[in-house]
Amino acid sequence: MRAVGIRSALASLCVAFGFAAAPAAAQMAPWEAELYEAAKKEKEFTVYTSHYNTEEAAALCSVFEAKYPGVKCNFVRTTAQVAFQRLNQDMQARRPVASVFSSTDVSHYPALRKMGALMQYKPNNLDKMVDSLKDYTDPEHYSVVTAAALMLITYNTELVDEKDAPKNWTDLLDPKWKDKVSIGHPAFSGYVGTWVVQMRKLYGWEFFEKLEKNSPQIGRSVNDTVTMLNAKERWVAAGPEATTLLSRDKGNPLAVAYPTDGALLMVSPSSVTANAPSPNAAKLYIEFLLDREAAETQVKSHSLPVIKGIAVGPGKKPLEEIKIVRPSEEEIAKGIPEVKEQFRDTFGI
Amino acid sequence: MSTVNPSAAAAAGKPVFAQRWRNLDRSYWLWAFAILVLAVLVVNPLLRLLIVSFQDDGGGFTLANYIAAYGRTRHLDALVNSLILGMSAASLCLLFGVPMAWALSRTDMPFKGLIWISILGTFVIPPYLGAVGWILLAGPNAGWLNRAFAALTGADSGPFNIYSMPGLVLVVACYSFPYVFVFTKSALDLVSSEMEDAANILGAGNLRTTLSITLPMVAPAIIGAFILVFLEAIALFGSPALLALPGRFHVVTTQLWQFFEFPPRVGVAAAYAMPLLGVTILLFWLQRRITMRKGYVALTGKGGERRPVALGAWRWPMLGFCLFVCTLSFFMPMLVILQAATAKAWGRGFSLDNFTLDNLRFTLFENNLTRDATINTFTYAGGASLIAIGLSLCIAYAVNRNLVGRRLGNTLSFLTMAPFVIPGIVLAIGFYAAYANPPFLLYGTAWILILAFATRFLPIAFTNANAAIRSINPELEDAVRILGGSRFTAIAKVVMPLLKRSLAGAFILVFIPATRELSTAIFLYSIDTQVLSVLLFDKSDEGNFEALASIGLILVFITVALILIGFRLMGRDFMLRRTAA
Repeated sequence: MRAVGIRSALASLCVAFGFAAAPAAAQMAPWEAELYEAAKKEKEFTVYTSHYNTEEAAALCSVFEAKYPGVKCNFVRTTAQVAFQRLNQDMQARRPVASVFSSTDVSHYPALRKMGALMQYKPNNLDKMVDSLKDYTDPEHYSVVTAAALMLITYNTELVDEKDAPKNWTDLLDPKWKDKVSIGHPAFSGYVGTWVVQMRKLYGWEFFEKLEKNSPQIGRSVNDTVTMLNAKERWVAAGPEATTLLSRDKGNPLAVAYPTDGALLMVSPSSVTANAPSPNAAKLYIEFLLDREAAETQVKSHSLPVIKGIAVGPGKKPLEEIKIVRPSEEEIAKGIPEVKEQFRDTFGI
Repeated sequence: MSTVNPSAAAAAGKPVFAQRWRNLDRSYWLWAFAILVLAVLVVNPLLRLLIVSFQDDGGGFTLANYIAAYGRTRHLDALVNSLILGMSAASLCLLFGVPMAWALSRTDMPFKGLIWISILGTFVIPPYLGAVGWILLAGPNAGWLNRAFAALTGADSGPFNIYSMPGLVLVVACYSFPYVFVFTKSALDLVSSEMEDAANILGAGNLRTTLSITLPMVAPAIIGAFILVFLEAIALFGSPALLALPGRFHVVTTQLWQFFEFPPRVGVAAAYAMPLLGVTILLFWLQRRITMRKGYVALTGKGGERRPVALGAWRWPMLGFCLFVCTLSFFMPMLVILQAATAKAWGRGFSLDNFTLDNLRFTLFENNLTRDATINTFTYAGGASLIAIGLSLCIAYAVNRNLVGRRLGNTLSFLTMAPFVIPGIVLAIGFYAAYANPPFLLYGTAWILILAFATRFLPIAFTNANAAIRSINPELEDAVRILGGSRFTAIAKVVMPLLKRSLAGAFILVFIPATRELSTAIFLYSIDTQVLSVLLFDKSDEGNFEALASIGLILVFITVALILIGFRLMGRDFMLRRTAA
């Protein structure tokens, strides 16, 4: 919680000492200086984002403002569905608010593109991106991956010893976890939807029929698992890395386990909107998200850095050392509606 | 009651009309204006919804939305569950609220102030915050109550499971019974002791008098409150999302939410919300049937004295009951919220080294977002309350004094009640469709939130105003009219002073839910019009329970303080006791 204060203090310190953030146009690449000048004329811009929690979104904005003084960064942080619905409302009312749109639901982007709502923009900083993530970014540049996170096995350390914790996803099917597992709902969470598609791909629908015998507790958001573990209502979960570790940082008795059959990689793109009130500031922000300052801010909140050469936080494995799995974009787009139905049939909700 | 007979007037034809026009009361302009505002606030969005429910993507006519909405047994099950939830929660609310209202209004029970503050506090807690509190209290594995039970009896596990229909009913009732309480109490406050005395003289005991005289006198208020709580229970989203899903069942609102998944099917959602409107109409019809032919006039020009009923030894069991309800709804959940708000890590439970005031300090002083949202929340809620009360008073008065004819009166009453039953998410869509475009262009402004809140809680204001006006004998105003005063004089000099207390109650009843309203706000707020409820919801979505609890605690604290200060300023004590006639 206090982190934001510290971060913005740090950011201002950086400015004061001329580290990194020095706005001297001379240090900027020509394209960057040009964007910055144009962005300054636009004064401010707004991001609709479901990528981060409120604190992280606020921290990113304040770091951006420190790096590019004179351009105000506003954000509306909400869930993916709400962000999408609002963007649609804005467009229908012809009152565009968002210049940048960042959803965690990858199926929003093709739909928005079809509606002509996205601007094509190839970021100059695209080269800095981690190679493995480049596969997931739109080759036609209507969107670009700006956030990555993991979904893995999480547990309460007061209830489960590290040696007893599940090592892979199928361990969750062990009868010893009956009434002790917590998961989210694929109809309420894009993370959970992708996870269900991945599990079905690895182990067939049988996985969920067996899981149902363990009577897992089903919340909505993937983050609900954090609450359930903290409350000791449940012992182990298929949960998010970032939120779980943030809660652990405060002193909550939580830990994560990287499943040997693969942690689920979640990538989330951002786009400049076609009718952006501040298109230049929006482009500058996209570039910023693919640069060092943003990555370092995100790492503090336990998100994965999307660009190369960023050290991960203490107690975390760097991406290269983790076995990662992720369904293809087609598998996700086709699979999520299917698994929602299957999930309802198996679990009754 | 009736002052004109509309059917006779219509039958007599034109000359009568002309005469009526000449004698037309100036106040008619006011009613006409009120009806116009009602049309803008309610009819327009509802009509948009109705249209959307019959439209396909291209805007053409289709029944596909209705087929999609009702073609599945799962969707029908959710409707049935919602009806069960509504009926059970509303009944439990009566069980909680009516005895407490009676105890506080009519008896000499001790510690009334404490009970009143607790009920006020309960009312202020957003239902989903209360639901989170209850998960910690009665979670089947680790709930405090279950652990306490296990420790006391040596059993393996406790008997409570909040993730069930009874659990959901309890939580919903806990955060809705204050409606019943306030409605019943403000009606009881107007009943004089004369009729009770008559019963006493004829040999009836206190209990019999209460059951056969006092409570029937306030039946319209109780029935109105029942309907309101029923509608609130089926329109809630937060608590069912937290409790019903893990309990493996759906209700209408959780099902509705799924229609907003990608790609959002607004038409199907609108179609799915339509039977709720039908239920509202049915309830109204029932209410009319029950209360039509009886008189409930309590406030007449003939004085009347009110004395508390002496409970004797029964004072303590009565207090025990009140404390029990408040413990369920307020003390226990607040303890959980307090622990989380002051914990470094709430998962570690109670311990001194886990205590911190940082969460609260940060929320209060360092976070601009919370500060702006706090100011917005209370400004919007205040504005919405004033609009809703002003409008509903006009409508209730016009309807009850038969100034607009019975049929139009019935339609108006229905329209003022309809917004409550449309789940907030759907209402927000209707509002958006109605007001984002010219000529209104309200999208992104504070006004769309204020109007949406006013509309959403219009039914509460109306139920209250309606019950209050029904309790005033028209002979009081007739006296003014006979002496040559206009209708406005009668209203300003007689009706308003008599209503002051009810109106203060109505203000609280609209103000509080408006401060905690989430479902309409989430689609209509903008970067400059952030409100606390949305911040709270975000925190729950982010799994940040320490921050969620801090914001919740501050919301509860500020709202209670504001209300108490408000009453002081109005020259009344917080018990709403009559300090001036």
